[in-house]
Amino acid sequence: MLNEYYPSLAIIKEIKKETYNTNTFALDFFDSTLTNDFSWTPGQFMMLSVLGVGESAISISDVDNDNLISVTIRNVGNVTNSLFSFKKDDIFGMRGPYGTGWPLKEIKGKDILLIAGGMGMASLRGVIHYIMNHRKEYDYFEIIYGARTPDDMIFKYEFDVWRKIKNSTLHLTADEIPGKNPFECRTGLVTSCFPMMNIHHRNAVALVCGPEIMMRYAAKCLETIGFADKQIYLSLERRMKCGIGKCGHCQIGVNYVCKDGPVFNYADIKPFIRPL
Amino acid sequence: MKAYTIEKNYLEILLDQFLKKFKVYGPTKSGLDSTFDEIKSSTDLHLDYKSTVLPPKKFFHPPKQTLFKFTIQKKKHIIQESKNDEKFILFGVHPCDVHAILKLDKFFSGEFKDNYYQNRRKNSIIVALNCNQPGEHSFCKSMNAGPFLKEGYDILLTDIGTKYLLEIGSNKGKKLIEDLELSVASNRDVAEKEKKCKLSDKKIKKILDPFWLPTLAEENLDHEIWVDLGERGGVAGSFSCLSCGSCSLVCPTCYCYDIYDTLDLSLKHGSRIRELDSCQLLEYGEVALGGNFRKERKERIRHWMFCKFGAAAGDKNSSCVGCGRCIRVCPSKIDITKVAKELRRRK
Repeated sequence: MLNEYYPSLAIIKEIKKETYNTNTFALDFFDSTLTNDFSWTPGQFMMLSVLGVGESAISISDVDNDNLISVTIRNVGNVTNSLFSFKKDDIFGMRGPYGTGWPLKEIKGKDILLIAGGMGMASLRGVIHYIMNHRKEYDYFEIIYGARTPDDMIFKYEFDVWRKIKNSTLHLTADEIPGKNPFECRTGLVTSCFPMMNIHHRNAVALVCGPEIMMRYAAKCLETIGFADKQIYLSLERRMKCGIGKCGHCQIGVNYVCKDGPVFNYADIKPFIRPL
Repeated sequence: MKAYTIEKNYLEILLDQFLKKFKVYGPTKSGLDSTFDEIKSSTDLHLDYKSTVLPPKKFFHPPKQTLFKFTIQKKKHIIQESKNDEKFILFGVHPCDVHAILKLDKFFSGEFKDNYYQNRRKNSIIVALNCNQPGEHSFCKSMNAGPFLKEGYDILLTDIGTKYLLEIGSNKGKKLIEDLELSVASNRDVAEKEKKCKLSDKKIKKILDPFWLPTLAEENLDHEIWVDLGERGGVAGSFSCLSCGSCSLVCPTCYCYDIYDTLDLSLKHGSRIRELDSCQLLEYGEVALGGNFRKERKERIRHWMFCKFGAAAGDKNSSCVGCGRCIRVCPSKIDITKVAKELRRRK
């Protein structure tokens, strides 16, 4: 019987620096059958384990044509800290993908509003790539990306590509701009971009990922400008130990974030994330 | 299936038969309280018990368990399986605890199977004992989990005076006693069981209507009762919750666990361990950068109560069976039945 708790060995193929404390790792399973069979939906996550340190749930930010899995990690805890000491070709444990992912099939034909805060972009980058590759299946596309400072933004090298996506807008905003401002960021929270939004709520869906406080405000503001709860999707963060809906830590209401989420329809979880 | 009777003194021989082939765990009384422990001879067995401190969950979902061992090498990590293939009999389990095991069976199967639990469960045989002496805190009747058992046992014993009525519930159970010569139960014996069942029902003083529990949870997410329970001196004669986690430690359906790694001094060998966790503890909802999704005590006690009402992610598979252990051990005298009633009353 297959044991879900055993991590499979994986190797670091490439490390790319995103910000002073964030890196993107390109990972590959040791076992080539696992690499070949890998299939995913943007929004899903992997359980990365450094044996001897622990295990962490990390969003997949992209999977390329060779099934190399990109994960973007900020150095904040024990596991991520030890991952940052790893170099190219080092090995560690990985299992997944887990979770449901963004409802890309269900939202075909709609205007897509994508709101990302800080590291939340890691989970949504897959959506951007998917929409770029299937541009005709979706209507107007609008990205609002906010971070603490322009330096804290991840995937900066892709902004120019995103700006060129047909029929789309990219808004960048930062809480404060202490130094240079190379991508013409506005100052303000993500919600401050709402008045300039081109999308009308009539045929739109909002995909939101970021710190929970930002998502609460964003969801509340979307409501005031006419979005119905059902039109808003959020990707939540919780403490996770198993990733398979057994350890109990990630419960929200009657759902497990790891198994039934991490992407939820706002209507389903509204009472539990305490709307303001 | 067929029912037999067995004289009380003969139970010793039955136990000796079991001990020849299996490890047997059952209720013992080493101190003031009963506890499930290994039975080496019939003198260890203490069947006349009300409730044990810890539920028999510990045999299937141990408080601490190694998931796997590993060796870290430069270009290779070796993961070694950690398996416990011991075959054992759980002797003298009360109906509430059998029902809890049935719930956990469902919980640990499904889309992702938990091999560790399933493996232990596969290797176990349950000899249940109907409860003639429900404790003062029991409300198993209301939760449909006792005091007499209808399903989930391999063998079921009922104390009917000088004899035990022995019923078989599965092929495992049938195989276990096929070498023994047992007398077939008469109609009188079966009638005696019915009588005992009714008597036992009457001894249960705590009554609760379980059907409105999930709705109660749904409607009262922001009820003031949770503030009372968490911070303002308790509800219905209790004190404020202390977040000690005792309730989830003794609960037969609480399944939450933590996973962590340990390393030896060489930093080469280690193991991944899982240990029971409690939603009552502050660390339970903690995430990186100082975030905590269950920071307030009221949120944690509310979550536990909802989970036991069957209105959390575990659904009916982690809901209450009415064994009353949490009421017994709570240092603040919080009584889940009283909280439920109070919620209903203050609506």
